[in-house]
Amino acid sequence: MDEHRRRNQIFSIIAVACLFLFLWSMQVFADSYQIRILNNIGLFIILAVSYNLINGVTGQFSLEPNAFVAIGAYTSALLTLTPIEKEMAFIIEPIIWPLSVIHIPFVFSLLAAGVVTAFFGFLMGFPVFRVRGDYLAIVTLGFGEVVRVIANNTQTITNGPLGLKGLAGHTNIWWTWGLAAFTVFFISRMVRSSFGMAMKAVKYDETAAEAIGINAFGHKMLAFTTSAFFEGIGGGLLAHLITTISPTLFTFFLTFNLLIMIVVGGLGSITGSVIAAVVITWGGEALRFVEEPIHLGFATIPGIPGMRMVLFSLILVLVMIFARKGLMGAREFTWNGLFRKIREWKGRYVKES
Amino acid sequence: MDFFTARNLTMRFGGLVAVNDFDITLKREEIVGLIGPNGAGKTTVFNMIAGYYVPTSGTIHFQGRLLNGRKANEITKSGVARTFQNIRLFTELTVVENVMIAYHCRIRSTFFGAVFRLPLYRREENKMYEGAMAFLREVGLESLAREQAGSLPYGKQRRLEIARALATGPELLLLDEPAAGMNPNETQDLLQLILALRDKYKLTVFLIEHDMKFVMKLCERIKVLDYGTTIAEGTPEEIQQNARVIEAYLGEE
Repeated sequence: MDEHRRRNQIFSIIAVACLFLFLWSMQVFADSYQIRILNNIGLFIILAVSYNLINGVTGQFSLEPNAFVAIGAYTSALLTLTPIEKEMAFIIEPIIWPLSVIHIPFVFSLLAAGVVTAFFGFLMGFPVFRVRGDYLAIVTLGFGEVVRVIANNTQTITNGPLGLKGLAGHTNIWWTWGLAAFTVFFISRMVRSSFGMAMKAVKYDETAAEAIGINAFGHKMLAFTTSAFFEGIGGGLLAHLITTISPTLFTFFLTFNLLIMIVVGGLGSITGSVIAAVVITWGGEALRFVEEPIHLGFATIPGIPGMRMVLFSLILVLVMIFARKGLMGAREFTWNGLFRKIREWKGRYVKES
Repeated sequence: MDFFTARNLTMRFGGLVAVNDFDITLKREEIVGLIGPNGAGKTTVFNMIAGYYVPTSGTIHFQGRLLNGRKANEITKSGVARTFQNIRLFTELTVVENVMIAYHCRIRSTFFGAVFRLPLYRREENKMYEGAMAFLREVGLESLAREQAGSLPYGKQRRLEIARALATGPELLLLDEPAAGMNPNETQDLLQLILALRDKYKLTVFLIEHDMKFVMKLCERIKVLDYGTTIAEGTPEEIQQNARVIEAYLGEE
C-alpha cells in the first residue's frame, strides 16, 4: 500500500511550494480586489471543510455554522480592539468590565475564538444530539437564530445592532491560506484515522456502530466541537478581514452559502469542499456582471440585484438532478488516484493511435 | 460466580408483554440456542442483553457486573458482541474497513495522537489492519478485503458481520439468525466456523435460529420461547420430544 509513499510525499511538498509561490506572486502583483477574493476563498475553504466534518463525514445534517462564525468573530474582535477603541465604540451603553480592559495580539485572539466557539459547540451538542435527522436540522437552525438575536440584544457585550467597527485588518492571504491548509491537513488526517472511520460508521448505521462499541453520541460531539473550533477561527479571520461586524452579517444566508458548497462538492469529501469553496467563491465574483444592466443592441435588461443567487440556486438544483452526490461524491483526491487516472488515460490514448 | 445470568427479564411495550420473566444462565464456552415461532420475543431478549432496550424489570449480570441500564456501546466494550437479524454492515466501506472499525473501541490513542499520527497510534493502526486481516482469514474473506462490503453475496455478508463482531474482542457472542438465507452447504460451513471460533477464542455463543437442523446439531442447550414466555428448556433431544414445543410449532392436534 505504501510503495509510493516517498513519491507522494515529494509531490505533496511540490504542490505546497507551488501554492506558496502562487500566493507570493499574487501578493506582489495582484490588486487589492483580487487579494480580497483570494482571502475570501481561503476563508471559505476553512468554513466549508469544517462544516463538512459534521454534515458530510458524520452525517448529522445541521444548520448552525452562522452561529459558530458569529461567536468566533465577536470573540476575536472584542479581544483585539484596544480599551480606548472599545470605549469609543460603545456609545449607548459601556462595555462590561473584563472585556473593557482586555487587549491581546491577533494570533491569540484567533486561538481564543476557536476555543470559545468549541466550548459553545460542546455545550450546544448536549441538547441538539438528543434528536436526529430533520429535527436536528431544525434545532440547530434555531440555535443559529438565537445567537444572532443575542448578539443584537446584548448591548454591553456586542454593542448590539451597531456592531463593532474599525477592527485592524490583520487578516492577509498568509493567515487565510495558512489556516486553510492547516484545517485541511487536520481534518483530512482526522477523517482517515480510526476516529474518522468511527464517525463514518455513525453516519452509515448508528445502531451497528453502537454494536461494535462506538459511542455514537461521543463521536458526534467530537465532530461537532472540532467543527466549531475551526468555524470560530474562520469567524475571527472574517472579522479582521472586513474590519466591521454586526449581527446582520451572521444570518442563515451564510450557512446557506456553506451548505451549497459542501453539497456541490460532495457530502463527506474534503477535496470536494475545497474545490467547491474555490469555484463558488470565485464564481460569485465572476458572475457579478449578471447583476449589471446588459445591453443587447435592440434592448437593455436592467440590472437585477440578487440575480447571482438565482443562478446559484439553479446550480444547486442541477447538481441535485444530475449529480446527487456532488462533484466528488465521498471520494478524496490522492496522488495514487491521480496517477492511476493518468495511466488509464494514457492506455486509452495509446490504443487508439 | 456465573459467567452470564439473566433473571426475571420482562419487557413491556405499552400493553404488550413482549418477553415475560425470562431466565437464563450461560456457562463459559457453551453454545446455547434460543428458538420459537415468529414474534415470540427472541430478538427482544437479544436487544435487552445488548443494551438496545432497557428491560421493564429483571436483571442481567455479565461476569459479575450488572448490564441493564448501560448503553449498547459500553456493553460491547465489556465483552458482549452481537450480529443482526437483518445484516447491518457499513455497506459503502470496504470489507477490511468494516472489521477495522470494530477495533476503534479498543484503541488507547487519544484523538490528537490519531490526528498527528504519533508512534502509539501508528502501532495501533498496524495492529488494527493486521488483526482485521486475521479475522477475515478466519472467516474465509481475506481475498475480498478490498471489495465494497455491500457488493458481497448474502452468505459472505453474514460471515463478515461475524468477523466484525469478533474484532470487538467479545467473550459472549450473540448471533441473531446467522444461517438465515443460506443454502445447506453454506449452513454446514457456518456450523463448522462457529465451532472453530468458539474453540479458538474461548467464546460463549448464544444464538437465535429458525433452521432446526442447524440448531439441533450446533447447540448444547436450547430454550424455547412462545408469546414471550419460556415453554421449554433442555438438550436438543429433550426439546425434540417436548409436547409443548411441538404444539407451539405445529399447533394443537
